[in-house]
Amino acid sequence: MSHSTVPRSRTEADTTGKSPVASGGATGTRPNRPKAKLSWRLRFRRDRVLLLMTLPAVLLILVFNYLPILGNIVAFEDYDPYASDNGIVSMLHSPWVGLENFQQIFADSAFWSAVQNTLVLFFLQLILFFPIPILLALLINSVVRPRVRALSQAILYLPHFFSWVLVIAVFQQLLGGAGLFSQLLRQHGFDGLDVMTDPNTFKFLVTAQSVWKDAGWGIIVFLAALSSVSPDLYEAAAMDGAGRWRRMWHVTLPALRPVIALLLVLRVGDALTVGFEQILLQRDAVGPGAAEVLDTFVWWNGVRNQDFGYAAAAGLVKGVISLGLVLAANKVAHLMGEQGVYKK
Amino acid sequence: MTPNASAASAPSRRSFLASTAVVAAAVAGGVPLLSACGASDSGSGGGTSQGKGVKKVLPAFVANNVVTPDIPAKNGSALGFTSKLDLATLKTSVPKKLGKGGKVSIMSPFWGSPPKSDNAYYKAMNALIGVDVAWQNQDGNTYDQKLGAVLASSDIPDVVVIPGWNMGGKIPSAIINKFADLGPYLSGDAIKEYPNLAAIPTDAWQRSVFGGKLRGLPQPSPYVTGIVPLYRKDIFDKEGYEIPTSADEFMALCKEITNAKAKRWACLDMKWTAFQAFGVLSGSEKPLGWNLVDGKLINRIETPEYLEALEWTRKLFAAGYVHPDAKLGKSAATDPGPKFAAGEFLIYANNISQWWSRTAEQATQNPAYKIWGMDIFGHDGGNPSLWAEQPAGIFAFISKNASESVIRDALAVANVTAAPYGTKEYMLTNYGVEGTHYTVKNGVPTKTDQGNNEVINAYVMVASPAATIAHPDFPEVAKAQVEWQQRMGAFTKKSSFYGQMITEPSRYTNLGNDFEQLEDDITRGRKKISDMQQAVSDWKSKGGDQLRAWYQKLLDDNGTATS
Repeated sequence: MSHSTVPRSRTEADTTGKSPVASGGATGTRPNRPKAKLSWRLRFRRDRVLLLMTLPAVLLILVFNYLPILGNIVAFEDYDPYASDNGIVSMLHSPWVGLENFQQIFADSAFWSAVQNTLVLFFLQLILFFPIPILLALLINSVVRPRVRALSQAILYLPHFFSWVLVIAVFQQLLGGAGLFSQLLRQHGFDGLDVMTDPNTFKFLVTAQSVWKDAGWGIIVFLAALSSVSPDLYEAAAMDGAGRWRRMWHVTLPALRPVIALLLVLRVGDALTVGFEQILLQRDAVGPGAAEVLDTFVWWNGVRNQDFGYAAAAGLVKGVISLGLVLAANKVAHLMGEQGVYKK
Repeated sequence: MTPNASAASAPSRRSFLASTAVVAAAVAGGVPLLSACGASDSGSGGGTSQGKGVKKVLPAFVANNVVTPDIPAKNGSALGFTSKLDLATLKTSVPKKLGKGGKVSIMSPFWGSPPKSDNAYYKAMNALIGVDVAWQNQDGNTYDQKLGAVLASSDIPDVVVIPGWNMGGKIPSAIINKFADLGPYLSGDAIKEYPNLAAIPTDAWQRSVFGGKLRGLPQPSPYVTGIVPLYRKDIFDKEGYEIPTSADEFMALCKEITNAKAKRWACLDMKWTAFQAFGVLSGSEKPLGWNLVDGKLINRIETPEYLEALEWTRKLFAAGYVHPDAKLGKSAATDPGPKFAAGEFLIYANNISQWWSRTAEQATQNPAYKIWGMDIFGHDGGNPSLWAEQPAGIFAFISKNASESVIRDALAVANVTAAPYGTKEYMLTNYGVEGTHYTVKNGVPTKTDQGNNEVINAYVMVASPAATIAHPDFPEVAKAQVEWQQRMGAFTKKSSFYGQMITEPSRYTNLGNDFEQLEDDITRGRKKISDMQQAVSDWKSKGGDQLRAWYQKLLDDNGTATS
């Protein structure tokens, strides 16, 4: 225990803040400033309580996020989960096929069609969906009366809590071939219009459903960012003669910029995940030609056809591309001077 | 269609199929999924239940003449019972308890909300059997997804019920690797210890042979197709519509019926009826799709009839005669019952059990409503040319890790659930306890609320007697169902691999996966007939021709079940 006194005094100096540093050169000779010089053991000793507190979360991540990564091994096998008494032992018994699954995937037109659908949907949603919560947040923020504001917020949040089954059923009742809208048209002598089963407009339909369901929910983060803008800034801008639009352009939007950049980076990382349940539910209505995305492709081949190796390979390809995308988007955010998701 | 057809049998199956399973199967993958289901793969090289040695593992058949049916089975139909129920004359088919009081866990698909595990029905059944059955009921609609995971684990329940439509992909390989050989307990005369099991037709047992061993406890079903074109007889009579006798007449009738402005369409997706009318080989199980024509095996997708049936169905859609809901496809399609009752469409093809279940469902609130089945027409106005379905579709398997006493107890359960109509065991299995779960008035049993909550699925899933149709509440429906089966049975032929449980070699497992989807794309106008022709030629070059050779060898080695 004799060692412990020295480090403790150091840590105390360190944690009490910058005072030793601020007090100038007199204390500058004491080697207490740069954290990097603390040995691993000392830092461990200092932060042990904090580390202990993170332990459960780390364990969860290890068991449920990192351990399953090992399962990707089936992407290189002709995996048969029933080859032995349990699925994990089967991994060792299934024949190794190397990159064969990947070769097949890259030669599979259905896979490329799924990639294309996924990317088109992603860009559509980026253009048509992403700006809407920002606009809504600005709108809500400009509402002064608290009751109106609370009410409109509640109405906007609500659809987020509906399940996709419900949302699609509602769309079907309204816009389906026998839905309200079609019957209204027919009663007035026009032809019915079946939006739900038209493969050509399916991507817009899916985007519209997402907007209806989740745009309101998306405003929460922006509202939080807006509430942190100091009213002084608006007052000062108003004093300088800035009108409504100029205040929004020069005060509000700059305040939102880091949040927008952060969400954009996260969104790009998720680019290949465009809504599994929503699309799976409507896959048969328009056929896989229009509705197959990477996630449904993996589900169809893995769970439905039990071609686990093939599906795992497709999933792995998706994961690798997503990682690349998130790194690239983060880089772009840094170049634009934003924080992004992380910084070295 | 086997899975659904099997369900058409008993009154209790009403609760199971009627309200729930058929709907579930139809929505979640029964009817439309059929072409994609079916036994397909084995980790080993595949095989059949028809091999020469297989005869030896089959159990002996001992008829169980407890009750004589009002309409005997003919042409592959079920047995029909149309008389009233008289509790006083019920027979006993299991005179002494065979259960040894052990504990048996059973995992089974369940459609609806499972009751509490200590409910009166389970208790009464367990007391009768002498076994403590612990049910692990799983949602039937997503059973395939759970099944794969459960079988991949090292800890599987003592008994697992697997419907034929959930035997896609690698499940057959799991069945061979994970479940016990019941041969020592049931083959030959050994089965006589379980008289109700011994009365299950041999056809159904033959289907229970996996990997050369007897592994399954079957639910027998009629081999006549289970898909009936059902129509609203009351509206047909009122409007003077006549039952069509050819594809053209059907089309003309649809034109007459359809009035979208008034929210009325002629029908739902009639693809399955089209396949029947045009004489297309069955798509319910992959082996049934092969048939020997002039010395060469032909697959259903290669036949001109297949394309004609799709083209005809496409015309129905294109002309706007099909209710828009049907365009949504199976996963988004809702229960057709309410819209059929509302008269939004007048014809739909579905399992024969709906003939009864829809009748019962509407009887009190909608007295005018009458649902009836129309005879399947030949596309050219002549007799239809129908193909037989498999004579058993749902199987219960016993884990290979189960001890002998557990296996004996599980067989004791099956011996009770397989009791024929007219016995006390049948009534308890299918209706529950009199007074608690059902009441009898004028010879018609009616389930109480408690009966409706507790007496669904579970025990009826384990093994059942020869296919039976008995509806004491609507005897005229039971009669019409059996007679429909017998009329259609007269036009039914058996294809080369009828009655066999065949597992294709794993490299061909996924060969035919996309055809069902393509069928739906074509009928709904998203793809062309030429796309199908292209897919068929791709199928041939990617392994279809090799698969043909594999089946040919199987046929050369083992012959057919019918010859």
